[in-house]
Amino acid sequence: MLTARYFDGKTTAARAVELSLEGQEWVLRGDDLELRYPFVQVQISERLGNTPRLLTFSDGGQCEVTDHAVLDQMLHAAGVRRSWVDGMQHSLGWALIASLAIVAVLIASYVYLLPWSASVIAKRVPDAVLQKMGNSTLDTLDKFMLQPSKLDAVRQQALVDAYAKLQPLADSNMSYHIVFRSSPRMGPNAFALPDGTIVMLDELVALTENDDEIVAVLAHERGHIEQRHAMRMVLQSSAVGLMMTWYMGDVSTLLATVPAVILQASYSRDMERESDEYAERTLQLNSLSPCLLATALEKLEAAHLSRNEKLKTTKDDAQDVARDYLSSHPATPERIRQMCPERP
Amino acid sequence: MQTHQQPQEHAFEFTGSGWEFFKIWIVNLLLSILTLGIYSAWAKVRRLQYFYRNTRLADASFEYHGLPMSILKGRLIAFGLLLVYYAAAAISPVLVIIVLLLIAAVMPWLIVRSLRFKLHNSSYRGLRFSFAGSDAAAYTVFLLFPFLTILTLLGLAPFTHQRIKQYQHSNGQFGDTYFNFDASVGSFYGIYLRLLGMVVGLAILAGVLTVLGLPLMLMLLPVAYLFIAGYYAVRLPNLIWNGTGLGEHTFYSRLEIKPYVWIFFTNMLGIILTLGLFVPFAQIRMMRYKIENMGLMAQGDLAEFVAGQSQDANATGEETAEMFDLDISL
Repeated sequence: MLTARYFDGKTTAARAVELSLEGQEWVLRGDDLELRYPFVQVQISERLGNTPRLLTFSDGGQCEVTDHAVLDQMLHAAGVRRSWVDGMQHSLGWALIASLAIVAVLIASYVYLLPWSASVIAKRVPDAVLQKMGNSTLDTLDKFMLQPSKLDAVRQQALVDAYAKLQPLADSNMSYHIVFRSSPRMGPNAFALPDGTIVMLDELVALTENDDEIVAVLAHERGHIEQRHAMRMVLQSSAVGLMMTWYMGDVSTLLATVPAVILQASYSRDMERESDEYAERTLQLNSLSPCLLATALEKLEAAHLSRNEKLKTTKDDAQDVARDYLSSHPATPERIRQMCPERP
Repeated sequence: MQTHQQPQEHAFEFTGSGWEFFKIWIVNLLLSILTLGIYSAWAKVRRLQYFYRNTRLADASFEYHGLPMSILKGRLIAFGLLLVYYAAAAISPVLVIIVLLLIAAVMPWLIVRSLRFKLHNSSYRGLRFSFAGSDAAAYTVFLLFPFLTILTLLGLAPFTHQRIKQYQHSNGQFGDTYFNFDASVGSFYGIYLRLLGMVVGLAILAGVLTVLGLPLMLMLLPVAYLFIAGYYAVRLPNLIWNGTGLGEHTFYSRLEIKPYVWIFFTNMLGIILTLGLFVPFAQIRMMRYKIENMGLMAQGDLAEFVAGQSQDANATGEETAEMFDLDISL
């Protein structure tokens, strides 16, 4: 016999009743009270921990049951099976499995799903959006990191012309231009903005011996642009940011992260390799040797390594910038072997 | 007829347990992830049911009746609105303003639906709650007053807050009995002005410490900030619930700053250190503290409430409001 408290749905008065199953009917018996309801028409609320369960009747009345063992027994005898979710929600083993499964799913989506969906979406982002992102990123960089270039106009024009002569691969559909800046803090560097703008730093121009090397670096940067790497990075980290903020419950910080992502622009190894391949093909198309890029990369790495050595002693905050560069352009020797196998 | 006797104090009880809730939470989280969020409607219903059923007053518990399917429908509509917003943002800033104005125009209507859905789907001792607030009043409270608040550079913020709570609470019904609300505008201003004083004081203190070159003392500022946030999170619910009644019965809320800040801080630490696994425990802890420090001063018998007319409510309002981070708790 199952004891319960009965509420008629019309007042808050509680009445103690005894519940039983007779044939196909629930029967409630209390002081001067006997009610019968067809079994199939009674809604029984789901088991949730030790919380009271409700039997809701068609006339709005309900019974609150706290004696779970007896109710379970009656339902079992009546042939009602527990749902699989019900079983899982009350088992420590399933809680453990679910925890591990969540971790596995999160890692798998981060490693496989996220880059894949970011590259699919990045290809479909309208040019207007890329344009806007490029402009605002350059503004931000100009404000915080970059200074005007000290190269004279003739030299700048020569580089622009050299780059203009570089035949794009057939599938290119972007407009490209170079802007010149300098940044003692960042050292020799060049980077691609999502809209096709390449920012060329004086320090890089000074480092290289001939313009073909610079063109090789530009071809590499064009690879980043053509394959929309910046956009992909923004999408990936804002997806992660969205998840984090949704989880922690604050969306306002989300929009602030976008410029920071492009600033760091630490592409994955795969992205660097994609861009290397792109540059290689572009250089070959233009009858230039891929070894030019290899040389430029070597010089870049050497320059950053020595900067790093110096900075270790000066404790400048630019140390982080230099280290970022190295961590984002990993395994240069391996890349050089790929591009220029004929070299020792 | 009501005889005026000594009011009887009924404290709310909370019987939820962290481990029990963890098991429910983690399984539903996994199913939500695997179904790309669709199952989260079911997860939400279970979470609310777990909290409602574990909340007890005068030896009877509350129940949540919202259906996952109506919540899912609401979420899909809300998701659609969000997509419209992002699409507009990608196209032009003018379009964003138009979309935001449209959203602002429907928001009060949505909030009313959301309040109706929430109350209509809550019950205690077999009787449903309901919400009788009108759309016209909602537009005054949720659109006109906030607009004036911005115009007065937040000078009207406490007034608007009081009007919002008054609208929410005095239009609530349990059976055929109305809730009432009598916390004054002045008392809202009292809390907000003290808050302003504390923030200004903290800023001055930070300035002085910086000038004196005591950078270590700046470490104390987050602690001070935590206490100021605690002041807001504790005094306002106290003010609001102490000013709320149901028929002749009155509510009380006796939250205190120190225990609240302690629970908040340790919850945060726990969540960070366990990479989120502590979330269900944290929710249970906070809920227990809040609920167990509330209660009802009953004038007479709690068994005498009578049902009113029930009205239909769907979930769209609540879900849309939640997606835009405007869920209003009652």
